Amino acid sequence: MLRYGNGPEILKRVSLQFDPGSYHFLVGASGAGKSSLLRMMYLAQIPSAGRVALFGRDVAGLSRRETALLRRRIGVVFQDFRLLDHLTARENVALPLRIGAPPGGRSDKARSSDKDVEELLAWVGLADHMDALPPTLSGGQQQRVAIARAVIGRPSLLLADEPTGNLDDRMAVRLLYLFEELNKIGTTVVIATHNESLVQRFPHPVTRLRDGEVEIAGAVAGGRGSAPPAGW
Amino acid sequence: MAAKRSRQAVPLDRDSSGRYLPLLVAVMVYLAALAVAGALTMAKLAERWDSGLAGALTVQLPAESADAATLEAVVAALTATPGVRTAEPMDQQAMTALLEPWLGDALLTGDLPLPRLVAVTVDTAEPPDTAALQARLEALAPGILVDDHQRWLARLLDLARAVELMALVVVLLVVLAASIMVAFVTRMGLAAHQRSIELLHLIGAQDAYVARQFQNHALGFGLRGGLLGLVAALPTLYFARLLLQRIDSGLLPELNFLPHEWACFILLPVAAALVTMLTARVTVLRTLARLP
Repeated sequence: MLRYGNGPEILKRVSLQFDPGSYHFLVGASGAGKSSLLRMMYLAQIPSAGRVALFGRDVAGLSRRETALLRRRIGVVFQDFRLLDHLTARENVALPLRIGAPPGGRSDKARSSDKDVEELLAWVGLADHMDALPPTLSGGQQQRVAIARAVIGRPSLLLADEPTGNLDDRMAVRLLYLFEELNKIGTTVVIATHNESLVQRFPHPVTRLRDGEVEIAGAVAGGRGSAPPAGW
Repeated sequence: MAAKRSRQAVPLDRDSSGRYLPLLVAVMVYLAALAVAGALTMAKLAERWDSGLAGALTVQLPAESADAATLEAVVAALTATPGVRTAEPMDQQAMTALLEPWLGDALLTGDLPLPRLVAVTVDTAEPPDTAALQARLEALAPGILVDDHQRWLARLLDLARAVELMALVVVLLVVLAASIMVAFVTRMGLAAHQRSIELLHLIGAQDAYVARQFQNHALGFGLRGGLLGLVAALPTLYFARLLLQRIDSGLLPELNFLPHEWACFILLPVAAALVTMLTARVTVLRTLARLP
């Protein structure tokens, strides 16, 4: 259960389990509780009642250090991107790597990470905007930087809140396939979206929320399989 | 292509709240430098007084009993006393030179009765018992005074110690004021960059990572401000030195510092930088620890 302050219950009697390595869609109308559920999963919010367990560990009672280390295993695509405006696209994407690196000089690992950042940004179509500051990028470009930042550390769990909201259909599908690639190497993926037509194209379980409650849990929407589109 | 910007995840260099911090640290270091200069000078002055008067006694015969025979008897008694090395009566010329600055030469040429002084040096390892000496000499010349300068010296040393203590209090207050200021600016920075800090936490940053951003920034501010304060203090000390040299009195201190004493001054900016850095770190860690 989750409520903010003395407000109404945002999530009620929600009981869900996402198996390691699975790929889920979380759908529902605006205000259904998708973002709140994700906030609890990326440890930005603690439930008012009930329990959240990640990677087999109950998150209640974790120390601040343990919480930080657990968060490093989670990649998050925020609905509002949350890019740091004073850092370039390249620096924003590299941020999770910098945070995880020991303090001090630049290592060979850091240099190889720089290469990964550049490759990833090129892959999301931002090769020409690596040194651009977020305010100079369009909404879609900012979203792609946010996605690249979420996946750069090859997280064990990827949580994406409306990751395709500002993208055209082609780029949206392309990014969902990127998530599938991550899923194939073991990343658990949970995507919250209201774009049900997009969800229909992928054969993954769909959980529908309605007014803070689970309406349908884990129904496979069908789709035409996980083969990437031509030109992938 | 946009130019490369700050590498810090939290853009503290853009904060207006910390703009005057280096200037304030400079003022603090300036005050601390003056306090340290005062403390060092008083310590040296006290040492000079102490060593200058150690091993010396002055015996004063009142004018009415200062005839040659009594003086000779007193000197003989002093010389025979264990622990006394020398006993030299001051001649009239030396006495006149000593009193002239206060009484003027006109008065000294007349019949003004003057006491006779005997300068005595004693063995500092085994000095004579001053009270016993006084009693013995009293029998030879009633009203005679044996002065080991201890009362006067004790007061001067108390004064020197008080100045040193005040200087220490000034330095401590400066450190306290600087710490409060840095903590205040750091809290403002935390509030101003709340969103960035929240993001850093959400992508796995530990509190120490966030604290490093603030402490590195504060270290730079502290070092810059500290150097500025020290540079500003040097002309002040030089000016004070010139003023003291003009007075040319053996009682007043000299503003000359030895190399190891200069090191104290050089350490001030470093200490200021460390204080600002540690304060920023502790403030960030304590503030973040209170967050959920």
